[in-house]
Amino acid sequence: MSSDKFLQDYLHFTFIQSHIYELSRQRPTDRAVSVSVLEGMGFRVGQGLIERLTRDSPSFKDELDIMKFVCKDFWTKVFRRQIDNLRTNHQGTYVLQDNKFALLTQLSSGKQYLDQAPKYLAFSCGVVRGALSNLGLDSVVTAEVSVMPSCKFQVVIQKL
Amino acid sequence: MTIHNLYIFDRNGNCLYYNEWNRKKQAGISKDEEFKLMYGMLFSIRSFVSKMSPLDMKDGFLSFQTSKYRLHYYETPSGLKFVVNTDLSVTNARDTLQHIYSNLYVEYIVKNPVCVLGHSLDSELFSSRLDAFIRALPYYSPRAA
Repeated sequence: MSSDKFLQDYLHFTFIQSHIYELSRQRPTDRAVSVSVLEGMGFRVGQGLIERLTRDSPSFKDELDIMKFVCKDFWTKVFRRQIDNLRTNHQGTYVLQDNKFALLTQLSSGKQYLDQAPKYLAFSCGVVRGALSNLGLDSVVTAEVSVMPSCKFQVVIQKL
Repeated sequence: MTIHNLYIFDRNGNCLYYNEWNRKKQAGISKDEEFKLMYGMLFSIRSFVSKMSPLDMKDGFLSFQTSKYRLHYYETPSGLKFVVNTDLSVTNARDTLQHIYSNLYVEYIVKNPVCVLGHSLDSELFSSRLDAFIRALPYYSPRAA
């Protein structure tokens, strides 16, 4: 269990780092492309993951129910803990706060390396967006970090 | 009972990390020279010990002592060298050094994607956890014995 956790983390870091390494040698415009490529990879992973995780669950009552599922079961399976705080304006915008985001804990516990954090969040944003998309919700997911390893994911559900 | 200072070297002899908690006397040379001196000594003493050993060696060089302090040494299979100077009441710091390697170095440096292996250890998280660990050791005290 713990060695498989290590593999997952290390694999994620290495593939981001090697992909990101290209970023640092590119112009800023290309950097945005690389980040969106990472997000796209996350999207596909999220879609697949949600199929596996909800295989046996009953269907969801409403949007809030789906978000609660994401915050509890989904987050536990993927990031090994639950979301600490969910806020919403009941009009399609949700803010998910994770105070010890699994992919940031080893980076720092404060402000060091804050500028590097967004790269490591792109993939995870994609995972959340992919999961929601396969549950029927189109969304835009962004992440923001002010103090590591605490992280806020903002999900805006797109209405047709 | 106390810990004086700690060095971490990589396999090429670069000093990745140094910190001191209780050092009363400096070496009188620049830090760079001091690190080179320390590494050179370790290298020589290890090869001396293995050459002159009258028996088959198991772990090789572990520590040396003077009338005032003891130097403990731990080398990982990956070539990382941990050196700590303590006072004489600490007979075996090998477990401590091993803990520093597996629970601090591996956790906060190896698993940190921003830290490039082989460069000096900048992570504040590593530094602060290491400091907290050292201060929590049963044989640490802020004033020398």
